Amino acid sequence: MSQNILKTLAAIGAAFAMSAGSADAQTYPTRAVTVIVPFAAGGPTDVIARIVGEAMGKTLGQQFIIENVAGAGGTTGIAKGAAATADGYTIMMGHMGTHGAAPALYKNIKYKPDQDFEPIGIAAGTPIVIVGRNNYPAKTLQELVAKLKADGDKANEGHAGVGSVSFTTCTMFNVMAGAKPARVPYTGTGPVINDMLADKLDYACDQIVSVASQVRAGTIRGYAIATDKRSPALPDVPTTTEAGLPDYKVSAWNALFAPKGTPKDVVAKLTDALDKALSDAATRKRLEDLGGVIPEGKERGGAHLASFVKIEMDRWDKAFKAGGVMPN
Amino acid sequence: MQNLLAGLLLIVIAAIAAWQASPLPMGTLRHIGPGMFPISLAGFIALIGVALMVTWARGERNSTGRWPLRGPLFILGSAVIFGLAVRPLGLAVAGPMLVIVAAFASHETRWVEIIAFAAGMTVFCLVLFKYLLSLPIPVAPWLIGY
Amino acid sequence: MEALYDNLSHGFSVAVSFQNLGLCFIGVVVGTLVGILPGVGPIATIAMLLPLTFNFDPTGALIMLAGIYYGAQYGGSTTAILINIPGEATSVVTTLDGHQMARQGRAGVALGTAALVSFFAGTVSTLVVAALGVPLTKLALLFGPAEYFSLMVLGLAFAVVLAQGSLLKAAAMILLGVLLAAIGTDLETGEARMTFGLDELADGIDFVVLAMGVFGFAEILRNLENPESRDVVRAKIGRLLPNKADIKASIMPMLRGTGLGAVLGILPGNGAVLGPFASYTTEKKLAKDPSRFGKGAIEGVAGPEAANNAGAQTAFIPLLTLGIPPNAVMALMVGAMTIHGIIPGPQVMTKSPDLFWGMIASMWIGNAFLLVINLPMIGIWVKLLNVPYRLMFSAILLFCCIGIYSINNDTSDVALTAMFGLFGYVLIKLGFEPAPLLLGFVLGRLMEEKLRQALILSRGDFMTFVENPVSGVLLAISLGIVIFAVLPAVRKKKEEALSS
Repeated sequence: MSQNILKTLAAIGAAFAMSAGSADAQTYPTRAVTVIVPFAAGGPTDVIARIVGEAMGKTLGQQFIIENVAGAGGTTGIAKGAAATADGYTIMMGHMGTHGAAPALYKNIKYKPDQDFEPIGIAAGTPIVIVGRNNYPAKTLQELVAKLKADGDKANEGHAGVGSVSFTTCTMFNVMAGAKPARVPYTGTGPVINDMLADKLDYACDQIVSVASQVRAGTIRGYAIATDKRSPALPDVPTTTEAGLPDYKVSAWNALFAPKGTPKDVVAKLTDALDKALSDAATRKRLEDLGGVIPEGKERGGAHLASFVKIEMDRWDKAFKAGGVMPN
Repeated sequence: MQNLLAGLLLIVIAAIAAWQASPLPMGTLRHIGPGMFPISLAGFIALIGVALMVTWARGERNSTGRWPLRGPLFILGSAVIFGLAVRPLGLAVAGPMLVIVAAFASHETRWVEIIAFAAGMTVFCLVLFKYLLSLPIPVAPWLIGY
Repeated sequence: MEALYDNLSHGFSVAVSFQNLGLCFIGVVVGTLVGILPGVGPIATIAMLLPLTFNFDPTGALIMLAGIYYGAQYGGSTTAILINIPGEATSVVTTLDGHQMARQGRAGVALGTAALVSFFAGTVSTLVVAALGVPLTKLALLFGPAEYFSLMVLGLAFAVVLAQGSLLKAAAMILLGVLLAAIGTDLETGEARMTFGLDELADGIDFVVLAMGVFGFAEILRNLENPESRDVVRAKIGRLLPNKADIKASIMPMLRGTGLGAVLGILPGNGAVLGPFASYTTEKKLAKDPSRFGKGAIEGVAGPEAANNAGAQTAFIPLLTLGIPPNAVMALMVGAMTIHGIIPGPQVMTKSPDLFWGMIASMWIGNAFLLVINLPMIGIWVKLLNVPYRLMFSAILLFCCIGIYSINNDTSDVALTAMFGLFGYVLIKLGFEPAPLLLGFVLGRLMEEKLRQALILSRGDFMTFVENPVSGVLLAISLGIVIFAVLPAVRKKKEEALSS
């Protein structure tokens, strides 16, 4: 008797599970979509995910819920996202770190950035700015590079911890500038800026959104921005091309990925919604206020993202080898 | 007795820490490595452990009291079960499970009351956490998909 | 002075708009709620409520989020007093005497005192933020890694004084706390430290996991074992509000606590957590009869609670004037500001005066709301203690588990908390106190981080800690505190030895 009841219950449960699990692309989405953000709430990736998610939710008629799963330079959250049910109801905001630098930085990474995902598209990048304390003798990027080459071992560079954007991007900068500074680790961008304002640190590399207000206020010096074009958020800061280090082009890009095996038409719907979001005037303004760079034309969509991930993985692998950073 | 066991506990903890930290480079005093802090802490903790055992040897006789197993087993067990169940089964199942398993820990439990209480608390928590505070906690994924 | 008046009246004109008053009210109510629920912190709540704020203007949004933050600090003391669970690092100290007061039937007095001193501290520190916010920013910049390390040493010296029983055991707990804080990824090299190969430990142990374990779960286990002691709590419910004698005893601790909390709150890197500890140490040292502490001394609630709330308000100074968030909740506020297109930094005050002064004015209004909401609630909270414990413990357990799960949406955190529950239970049995463990844990991580940063900056020269005046003075004070704490114990031992 009781066995029969159990069997019936199991069958009902299975039926419900089936109906909930099957992603019917025609009607997708029928409930809220979870976006895993692999960093703590409030950071640049989180903010971009929230802005883009809100616009995509309007297009698709369902709420996009942000779930922050921070840890191990973002790889914890992405590993969790990669293992989620591939029905389009769990997607994730990948990042220059999680899908570019991580394989060269961590030994035990549980996913392959170029194989375990269905790329949806790049959302926005935030360019890297090289900044320094106001009273550091070097006034331009060229002077900075010359000074770091001459007596770089006296210089102090601050970064937000191994695996952070400021760490990875400054590793590349140090390689290109031939600098060997003392690299002082902090637990976030805020304390780096704090100790730079207090004249303890000489220079750092970080995302524009983290440093723009200080540079505009004249409390720290902006040497150069690592993009092709100057940013409207910092019109007075030259590009690295103008400042004489044209090879240093780095942006902390953020891109949406779905787990491997998500139905093609569901991914297409998401790509389409992202595209609409990035063309929406209000969303664009919000992203640009942050100093964000929005992908245009052929830079959008999954195909471009797929090839971009491969290029980035290769690039960071080389940078870390040249900078003597060993994977952990 | 109390200080003997306390000392032993500290020494065991220090040994575990030292074992875990042993592969890490110590660095030098001028440039501290990842292993320096944990290893030195383990050393100090072990020293205090020894000191506590000395106080016992000199005549400390505080009792450690009874060690009933029922409480720890069911209270901590119910939390572990909740942790395992909340993602696949959702709060609607994990909540009452926790309350009922935990109830085995107390000999004052009245079963009809606790079952009603489990149901009531679960509904209360669903309303509070899911709908008022909108935490992303699964409700019943096997039934309604989230 | 006149400028201050103008600015504040401008702020109040922004803050008393119908919408902003409403948002402030919602913020402090939600904040009180998440503060009271054990394990559910303001971080998870603010993160979840961020999307809602898309629809408001940035000033309104930030007024609400700020309300959640200091409302949670407020609510946290309620849980600490009633059920001996600190929801935040800042309410650890409140458990020491606050919960003892509750056990003596003085829960109402403890809650009332906490509410009143918090309101006073909130009022004073709002004025401090408004009048001195900008000049005080300089103080934050005085604190580099070396100074900060010395401050942490001072904090650990406080912890020794905090101890009620054996000094040896207290020292062991502090060191153990520092050791637990060392678990996780090494800051400088990125190596995994003492993680037993578990990915779950790669980012270290969360404070809430440790606190819920060694305080929350262990407390339930202890209470289930000793029905006698917990029934005392229910047997007699005394007055609901502090009387004249209580207020008289609280005034000086409140003033000192407000001062200490306000100054420490300004420091970068979450100096606010030190406030309640510093205040408790001061009161215990100044008391005529220090042995009352830990047994329900009202000064041990009034001082730390004032320090807690003052620190919560002045922690906004580095955020508002420098754009640098001193703790995780403030980092979230930075996110909220950037979502609304305001990049926090030195220019916020001049470019967005509505936001800057409106928020400061709203803090005072929010504190007034908190007092008005919480005083009548005391009766209800105290009545909750009448719920039979056979039901109450499972409710506490359920709230804790949901809260812990929601920190990282991670199930392994719940299991880890259970493990610390067992550990805390063993510690109690062996006569250790959990409070110094938590203090060591909170300060330990910062201490190692700052030590290593300072040594990298000085290229390995330890003189950096002594040469530097601020750091040197702090180290000297720490040394003094430890000597004064140890001396009486040593003297007592000698006397015992002589008399026996």
